[in-house]
Amino acid sequence: MSRKAKRDLTMEEQLARGPLDLPFLMLVLMLLGIGLVMLFSVSYYTAYRDSKPPVSNNPYFYITRQAMFAGAGIVAMYIISRINYQHFRWMAPLILAGSIFLLMLIYTPLGVTINGVTRWLKAGLVFGPTFQPSEVAKVAVVLFFSARLCKRDTEKQLRFTRRTTSGRLLNWLEKIGFLELVPYGAILLVIAVLVVFEPHMSGTILIMVGAGAVLLVSGIRLSWFVGLGTVAGLALAYIVFATSYMTRKIKIWLDPWLDPRNGGFQPIQSMLSIASGGLLGVGLGNSNQKYGFVPEPENDMIFAIVVEELGLLGGLIILLLFSLLILRGYWLALHARDKFGTLTVVGIVTLLAAQVFLNIGVVTNLIPNTGISLPFFSYGGTALMIQLAEMGIVLSISRQIQAPRKD
Amino acid sequence: MGSGPKKWGGRRVVPTAATRGTHSKRSIIHRTMFLMAVCGILIFFPLVWKLYDIAIVHHDEYQKKASDQQSLDYVISAQRGNIYDRNGNVMAMSATVYKLILSPRELVSTVSDKDEAGNKLEDEVYQAKVAARQEEMLNELMTLFPELNREKAVKEIHNIRSAYWVVKSGIEEEDIGALRTYITENKTSHYLYIVPDTKRYYPYSGLAAQALGFVNDNGGAYGIEAVYNDVLEGTAGRVVTTRTAAGTERYNSYSEYIDAINGYDLTLTIDVTIQSYLEKTLEEGIVEFDVREGAFGIAMDPKTGAILGIASSPDFDPNSYSKIINELLNTQMAEEATEIFEKLKANNPEHLADSKLMDLAEEQAYSNAVNTQWRSRAIDSRYQPGSTFKALVLAAAFEEGVVSENDTFFCSGSVMVPGYSEPIKCSNRQGHKHQTLAEAVGNSCNPAFIEIGSRLGIDKFYDYYLAFGMGEKTGIDLPGEASLAGAIWDRNKMSNVDLAVASFGQNFEVTPLQMICGFAAVINGGNLVKPYVVQSISTRDGTMVQNTQPEVVRQVVSRQTSQRAADILEQVVSKGTGKNAYVAGYRIGGKTGSSETGETDRTLVSFMGYAPADDPQVIVLIAYDRPEPRELGVSCNYTANDIYISGGSMAARKAGPLIAQILDYMGVEKVYNADESAAVDVSMPKVIGQSVADAKTDLEKKNLKFRTIGTGDTVSRQIPAAGASIPGGSTVILYLGDAVPEESAAVPDVTGMTYEAAKSALEKAGFFMRASGVSVYYGNTTTAERQSVTGGEVAAVGTVVDVWFFNVVED
Repeated sequence: MSRKAKRDLTMEEQLARGPLDLPFLMLVLMLLGIGLVMLFSVSYYTAYRDSKPPVSNNPYFYITRQAMFAGAGIVAMYIISRINYQHFRWMAPLILAGSIFLLMLIYTPLGVTINGVTRWLKAGLVFGPTFQPSEVAKVAVVLFFSARLCKRDTEKQLRFTRRTTSGRLLNWLEKIGFLELVPYGAILLVIAVLVVFEPHMSGTILIMVGAGAVLLVSGIRLSWFVGLGTVAGLALAYIVFATSYMTRKIKIWLDPWLDPRNGGFQPIQSMLSIASGGLLGVGLGNSNQKYGFVPEPENDMIFAIVVEELGLLGGLIILLLFSLLILRGYWLALHARDKFGTLTVVGIVTLLAAQVFLNIGVVTNLIPNTGISLPFFSYGGTALMIQLAEMGIVLSISRQIQAPRKD
Repeated sequence: MGSGPKKWGGRRVVPTAATRGTHSKRSIIHRTMFLMAVCGILIFFPLVWKLYDIAIVHHDEYQKKASDQQSLDYVISAQRGNIYDRNGNVMAMSATVYKLILSPRELVSTVSDKDEAGNKLEDEVYQAKVAARQEEMLNELMTLFPELNREKAVKEIHNIRSAYWVVKSGIEEEDIGALRTYITENKTSHYLYIVPDTKRYYPYSGLAAQALGFVNDNGGAYGIEAVYNDVLEGTAGRVVTTRTAAGTERYNSYSEYIDAINGYDLTLTIDVTIQSYLEKTLEEGIVEFDVREGAFGIAMDPKTGAILGIASSPDFDPNSYSKIINELLNTQMAEEATEIFEKLKANNPEHLADSKLMDLAEEQAYSNAVNTQWRSRAIDSRYQPGSTFKALVLAAAFEEGVVSENDTFFCSGSVMVPGYSEPIKCSNRQGHKHQTLAEAVGNSCNPAFIEIGSRLGIDKFYDYYLAFGMGEKTGIDLPGEASLAGAIWDRNKMSNVDLAVASFGQNFEVTPLQMICGFAAVINGGNLVKPYVVQSISTRDGTMVQNTQPEVVRQVVSRQTSQRAADILEQVVSKGTGKNAYVAGYRIGGKTGSSETGETDRTLVSFMGYAPADDPQVIVLIAYDRPEPRELGVSCNYTANDIYISGGSMAARKAGPLIAQILDYMGVEKVYNADESAAVDVSMPKVIGQSVADAKTDLEKKNLKFRTIGTGDTVSRQIPAAGASIPGGSTVILYLGDAVPEESAAVPDVTGMTYEAAKSALEKAGFFMRASGVSVYYGNTTTAERQSVTGGEVAAVGTVVDVWFFNVVED
């Protein structure tokens, strides 16, 4: 494809060649860099102790893989940022259909089971690294919802005949905005069912959060959120109090020392790590808790070791970087060229914020254990790649922001 | 829903002019900004608060918990020093072993009292779960250690208040790997774990057991192990470091290592060979003489006080010190248990059950027996030295000039001492009649020594008593020297009668060790030496830290006096009561003793001997306590196998070969005197074909006598054949003319005969006698005890029959 001269470009094309949002990119790269360094520090011993293939006591196993995926992810991020994001409008239904198809594949023998749960597929279906189709579904839902909801300003309200009761009912439903929500609800329901039964509760929650953010910003009536939120809250309360499994989980969450060897083990070890760090930390690489005390420290609990080594101060700096990244993300959303861009960025950034909150909330025992990884830090090559690809989408949207007028 | 007319549920749907959303950007901006505030800022508040709460507010509390689980703090035990004999043979050494510990309490805590959902279990269900867990643990332990006592294990495992049950101790290094794997794989380390331990090995098992002592959980408990505990045990080190969750040690800059300082090694003066000779001699004597109350023996270098061997019977094996291995002691323990049981039963105010009483009795008896076997009688008990003490009285008398070799004494069998109504008897009731000083000592004549004692007087006696170290502890580096309180009369309360009996070693008590030191002073040139068992202390790499120099406490008598006394004591063995200790070639000196104990039928027989007399290398004291008389309660002086109960008949008999063995081992050459040389074997010359006169010349050259059978002038045959080895002084048979010797003949029974009678009886029958057992001075009391070919058996004529002689000695 020969590169056209600037004067030959349409305005669309010109916009798509705008500059990347440098602050956002820098924040992503900083977090990624810190994340890689910390992953190495944290995973060294775990890998060294793991005699099973493919790790085979290679202390560099996790960091090598993660670094490779990070490299691939940066490339992917760059390529995606070069795509004119308007193309995502027509791609969105295809991506959504594809991700639903992939989610269904999990229920075929192609699904990969790890630790008793089937959440993965192989990248080449029968070979290659594994990935979670639910990660793809998250982006797909955000893109599809954004692509559709950005047009609701031009979407006409429906009117049914008033002669029949059902017609009148439909008219009323249209008026309160229910009919508009039906297709979104249906799609969410399909995806949620597919993900929940993997089982993958935390994945489901994140998809809901992403979709909810897009729906919220698109202008859906707040009463729906209040109503649905109340229903969800009541259902959750019912589950918590009615099932002894959940009750016990909650009890242990409130006081992990009730069961320090099983359920309380992870939060206790996590808190002991954080406390060991104190204000300034024990120093990079000097964690004691990573020597088998914190279970699988390279995964969800990585932030506990990060605080142990870098201290509260280090932890706060990382939180600050996350905060800045999120704020910059919303800033980009606010300045996006069109509503589609706004909604997409909001969805992606809210997903990121939710992951950070849910992960660090678990690490600090603020909320019960959910099993959500920390973006840019936790080990998981394909997840990192998808995360960076999402950042690529945000960057692509950032290119089309109009430069402030120079007076 | 797209635009344009559509069907919806069969109805016409008409899009209206109104849109679903508004074109207003305000809503979208507000809502985005709302999310921005929530997700970009608000959600971080609880996170930061929580982090602050944990990292700063609860820092100390949690960090302590963290470091508790991360830190590894253990003691490195110092290697206990080895103990070597004087030639570097290892007598005691330590090795690292391991203990497997189970905490029954923690085992129970691994069983959750809640079900999956977190509800509390019914008590019965919970108890059943606990029982199942215990049963499982038990079975696994039984698989690991099939030799475990199941009954005991069941008891221990159900004792859930206990947190420390030593499942197995003394696990060797090579067996520990499998256990470690088991613990790691089953993650048992919080209730089943291994702790290092050391084990003390005594390669010679029971040898010198009481001298070495043993080590229990508190360190050295008896003997050298106890006295030198500080030297041997070293200083424990400590490691403070961090560990992984798997329990492995991590090496980092926080680690603090304090090295253990290993204990020093000890080199003893004891020689395992001499020690084993000594112990063997004691054990043989105990069997031979039917000894009931044990025995003790000491072998010492008389010039330096270095203990070469020290033994007490019954002994034990320090490798398993609480086990009673001595058969006699085991029997006595059972008897004692019965006695105690009877006593308890007779006086049973608490009305305990018989089985309970028996348990108590057995416990008491066991404790007594164990203490008996751990005691070193040669040091921690006192005895009346009896006649062996006469050597000290003799030396004192010489030194004071109250007797001389030319003095004579008369013994009528008893003597009256003013102040005592009854005559004091001599061991020989008929009396020794006139005797020189040497004879009086050789006869161990009590009246003669009462005379010598009275010439010394109470004060001088007492002075020498103290000078010979009888009033003070020897200061040996072994524990438990007996207290000397009340061992002898106060000086100002001592009467003439006391002096009289003390002169022959009765009615006061000393320890065997004091006695051997005092005796050594008599014969070593007059110096009282301080005995010791540890020659040197050195580090593991062999650097000597301390070397014991022989220490002379004081010179008690002059060199000349010592020489004079030693000359007389040598005659005790060559001619007197010590005859049974005689060994041809070695000049052994000594003194016998039979001590009264105050108990009927209990005599302590002893012998103090040293050699060579001109340059003493070793002094030996052995004693047997209570050889059992044939008949009890009737002053019977013979054992069941007809051995006269006395120091001369028993202790001297065992001491002679022992001293010979020791000298042999020490490489002291045998030197025969003229009389001994005469009895040395000679080779029979060939005299066949010679005239009787020629033959006589040849035979005389060889110190052989002859008798002839048949008539003629020329020797036609000879017994024994040329080249045969026969004892010098034997009478050979020369056959003249046609006389033909018998091929074989019956050997006469010579036991009970005197030397001359036995010799002639054997030679008459065509045999030759090689005598051994006592000195060449054969008196009438010396009789053949046994012979190598039993009387009545047929043997080839000319056979040399070994005959052992023995002297019944009253001393």
